Amino acid sequence: MQGPLGKFMLKHPSTLVFLGLLSLFTIIVTIGSEAFGYGFVSTSFVKTLGKTLCFCLIAIAMDLVWGYCGILSLGHFAFFGLGGYMIGMWLMYERTRLIVINAAENAQIPMTHQEIQDAIGTQIFGVVGGSDFPLVWAFSHLFWVQLALVVLVPGILALIFGWLAFRSRVTGVYLSILTQAMTLALALYLFQNDSGLRGNNGLSGLQNLPGLESTDQSLISMWFFWASAFALGLGYLLVKLIVESKLGNVVRAIRDDEARVRFLGYNVEVYKLFIFTLTAVIAAIAGALYYPQAGIINPAEIAPIASIYLAVWVAIGGRGRIYGAVIGAAVVSLLSSWFTGGQAPDISLGFYTIKWVDWWLVLLGISFVIVTLYVPKGIGGLFDKFTKGAEQ
Amino acid sequence: MLRVICALLVALFFIAPAYGQNAFQDLVQTHAPQIIKGSVKTAPAVIADIQATKSPAATRFLQNWQSKDLWYRRADDLIVTVTTDDNKTYTLLGLADQSVIGTAQKSEIKQIKPNSGLRGLLGTALVGAQLASDDLATRRSSLESLARDPAPEHLAPLRAALNAESDVDLRAKMLRLERLLTLQYDTDTDERIAAINGFAGDLGLDVRARLNPLLDTRLQLSQTPPAAGTFARMINPANDETLSVTDAYDMLVANGWASAKISPDDKRKTLIANIENGAVGGVDIADLNTDENRNIAYAALVDAGIAPVDVSDADIINAVETAYFYDTYSEQSPAVIAAAQTALKRINTKVGISQGVDLFLDGLSLASIFFLAAIGLAITFGVMRVINMAHGEFIMMGAYTGFVVQQVITNYTLSIIIAIPAAFAVTFAAGVAMERLIIRHLYHRPLETLLATFGVSIALQQLAKNIFGTQARPLTSPDWLGGAWQINDVIAISWIRVAIFVLSILFFLMLWFTLNKTRLGLETRAVTQNPRMAASMGINPDKINMLTFGLGSGIAGIAGVAIGLFAKVTSELGSDYIVQSFMTVVVGGVGNIWGTLAGAAMIGFLQKGIEWMNPSNTLAAQTFMIIFIIIFIQFRPRGIIALKGRAAGD
Repeated sequence: MQGPLGKFMLKHPSTLVFLGLLSLFTIIVTIGSEAFGYGFVSTSFVKTLGKTLCFCLIAIAMDLVWGYCGILSLGHFAFFGLGGYMIGMWLMYERTRLIVINAAENAQIPMTHQEIQDAIGTQIFGVVGGSDFPLVWAFSHLFWVQLALVVLVPGILALIFGWLAFRSRVTGVYLSILTQAMTLALALYLFQNDSGLRGNNGLSGLQNLPGLESTDQSLISMWFFWASAFALGLGYLLVKLIVESKLGNVVRAIRDDEARVRFLGYNVEVYKLFIFTLTAVIAAIAGALYYPQAGIINPAEIAPIASIYLAVWVAIGGRGRIYGAVIGAAVVSLLSSWFTGGQAPDISLGFYTIKWVDWWLVLLGISFVIVTLYVPKGIGGLFDKFTKGAEQ
Repeated sequence: MLRVICALLVALFFIAPAYGQNAFQDLVQTHAPQIIKGSVKTAPAVIADIQATKSPAATRFLQNWQSKDLWYRRADDLIVTVTTDDNKTYTLLGLADQSVIGTAQKSEIKQIKPNSGLRGLLGTALVGAQLASDDLATRRSSLESLARDPAPEHLAPLRAALNAESDVDLRAKMLRLERLLTLQYDTDTDERIAAINGFAGDLGLDVRARLNPLLDTRLQLSQTPPAAGTFARMINPANDETLSVTDAYDMLVANGWASAKISPDDKRKTLIANIENGAVGGVDIADLNTDENRNIAYAALVDAGIAPVDVSDADIINAVETAYFYDTYSEQSPAVIAAAQTALKRINTKVGISQGVDLFLDGLSLASIFFLAAIGLAITFGVMRVINMAHGEFIMMGAYTGFVVQQVITNYTLSIIIAIPAAFAVTFAAGVAMERLIIRHLYHRPLETLLATFGVSIALQQLAKNIFGTQARPLTSPDWLGGAWQINDVIAISWIRVAIFVLSILFFLMLWFTLNKTRLGLETRAVTQNPRMAASMGINPDKINMLTFGLGSGIAGIAGVAIGLFAKVTSELGSDYIVQSFMTVVVGGVGNIWGTLAGAAMIGFLQKGIEWMNPSNTLAAQTFMIIFIIIFIQFRPRGIIALKGRAAGD
């Protein structure tokens, strides 16, 4: 191993282990996929796994902001959703444009630019009774701009919100409630029909990549799976680099005693703002990768409950250890989809049949209480026993 | 002898109605020629004569006459009503009591068809007859039907009835309708103006419904300027909101003063129809993807005489500028218009004030709902600093308790009286259980309390869904809480909301008293500020925490019953209120129920205020309210009423 990154890896072998396991997992899924291998992993399951990787990525962000910086944000799914909306706008615009142009292929005279725009507008906004493009769609035809907006819009929102919140020294549970209010406000705003983003219909058909209509979904799902795995690996590395640096030390000190760090001369607000904004951007990237796999995004996705589930994943996985967040997000979200998907066998008690579709949330809620009370370090805490010597 | 008398009595009994019938029928028959001919000139005398009998048969006869249900026998002009099963053979019915007189073939009888003028006359007579009826209920119902669909000719009988009316209440209503009809239909301008002035400041919808038509305008256009004084206002389509240039031009086209603009779609069709060798008018088809090139191609077609000349935008503006557009009043008398304008202005001012009051009441009501939902939190979160995310679920449990009680006890009043303590008991128990099992282990880890109680919240929500299903359960309010308190025609507030307002005031007083004037309150505050010191003074902190938390939860249960009365009871009831409740407490200021009151008032009035500015969109109102609160917290991070000194804790 050469260079500073190599040294870092040697110093923190857990990173190497994680990246190795992630690569192994990716290779196994690739071999098992319908597109490249034996086909024992179905396309829909590849999508589920890809989506789970995106959840793991946002869980890492959540762990950084909560587990390391002590800010319990109950609004990070707002950034996740915004990232999805930004990429979704381009996907939807471009695909509709291709459909319109295809349909006009046989017309006797070519369409003018305005006619094409009107046709796209009618197709996209017909459901909310409109046909004009709202201002927020101004760049939807430019892929690179929209890709930049994936990062910029949630980033700037987090920057403004964080600046307002931190400068007035809102901390602890107040900050949690404020972030929850933010995501609720955003969700309610997007629910309106004249929000410009199709109200509660949301954006749909995102799984179809423009210009790749003939490409099979099994192939596309693998591309997104790889992209999600790559993003997760990169995100893990980045967050690990941050928490192991001097910056990471200050951030952890802020979590443990904010006042003392301030008295030592550090500008606490800047550190918190940096972490908050950075995690918002990571969340947005996760969202931008997630929604093309999910195919649809609507405002219900960013309701406050989603962000609370995010906290649940991280808490169950174990805060303050990045792999813990990954484990928590993967285990809980996969279990959740297994139980609520009706795949789990029902348990018959003779007088009553436990249907997991109905009882899974009860189980999750109770186990969450138990984890908080008795296993505050989460699943990741179990690994501490093995890694203690190696990490220190 | 007795037998003879009996026989005579029986005979008399049968003869008497027969005689009555004959009398009315005979009366009608004396006017038979006029009735059959049906002229407006002769009819009033006939109608007056028939109405003079004051019998129900007379009213029925006039109704039948008006609705073309009278027939006469050709042979002897006998006037009857008929029924038929097959449209061939008709059964003839007498006019007095509709007894069967005989049968006739279609050819033997003929229908009496009064013309519209006569039918109007009959209608007026009928209205007059009903308004002059001896029966109060008939007079009342006829006045109501008259108010729904008044006509100018009703004015005279109404005035006649007004003078004769003895019932005070009905007389007042008649007078009001008479004034309304006067201002709209009277022929004397001064009378009308007097009537209009009489209504100045009246809030009734009926007044506005009669006054507004007086100011109706009609859009007119002409090629010469209208004479001064004949129009309400001139319209310049170039800068007018009510009439755009396009619409104005369309009016010109409709009047035949200009030729229509050719739509882009028609142009496209014309171009397509004239494609020759892959080009139109010298322009390649592939180049027809801009409006500019299409216009060039079309112009070429026009030059070739194939297509009609299009109107340019400049032409349209010119054409519109040379014509005159103006509004005229449909009402003729300028004095009446002026009076109506003044009266409406005063009415609108009053309506505006009333709407302001109404908005204030709405805000007050919303504030009391928020207060009720948040007051439990004011204790658990505000005083004890415990974040209870399951608070909303306690509200839901209270509402479901009310529902269950109503299933057992069907008397709504009784069931509400029982439901309130029952809901308190259930949620008090749940709160105490939660405090003992979960929260007491987490007093030093507030963020984790949030998460653990959230776990409880999702478990409870799903449990409620499993037990009660996903559909909304009704919680019916007793009759005395139904309906609304109508203060005037604009201001109204439902009794349930009044009850909720009263309930929140009661809660506030009760809590304020408990926290500030009782031993429990003193101990609660002591434990919150310094548990160790409190313990050393002989207070049992465990017990106090348990009771305080139970109290806060129990109040949430009662709030649940109140909220369930106007909102639908579902498992998501609680989560609808949880964020607003926390914001109410945070905005108001933690640790102080005055603060919660202030927070609820601010949020309630703010939301109603924003909704008033944009009434179609309550979602946007909530969004803007939350944004406002986020900004508000910047300036008062500790809420409206902030604690100072040691009580503030950290």
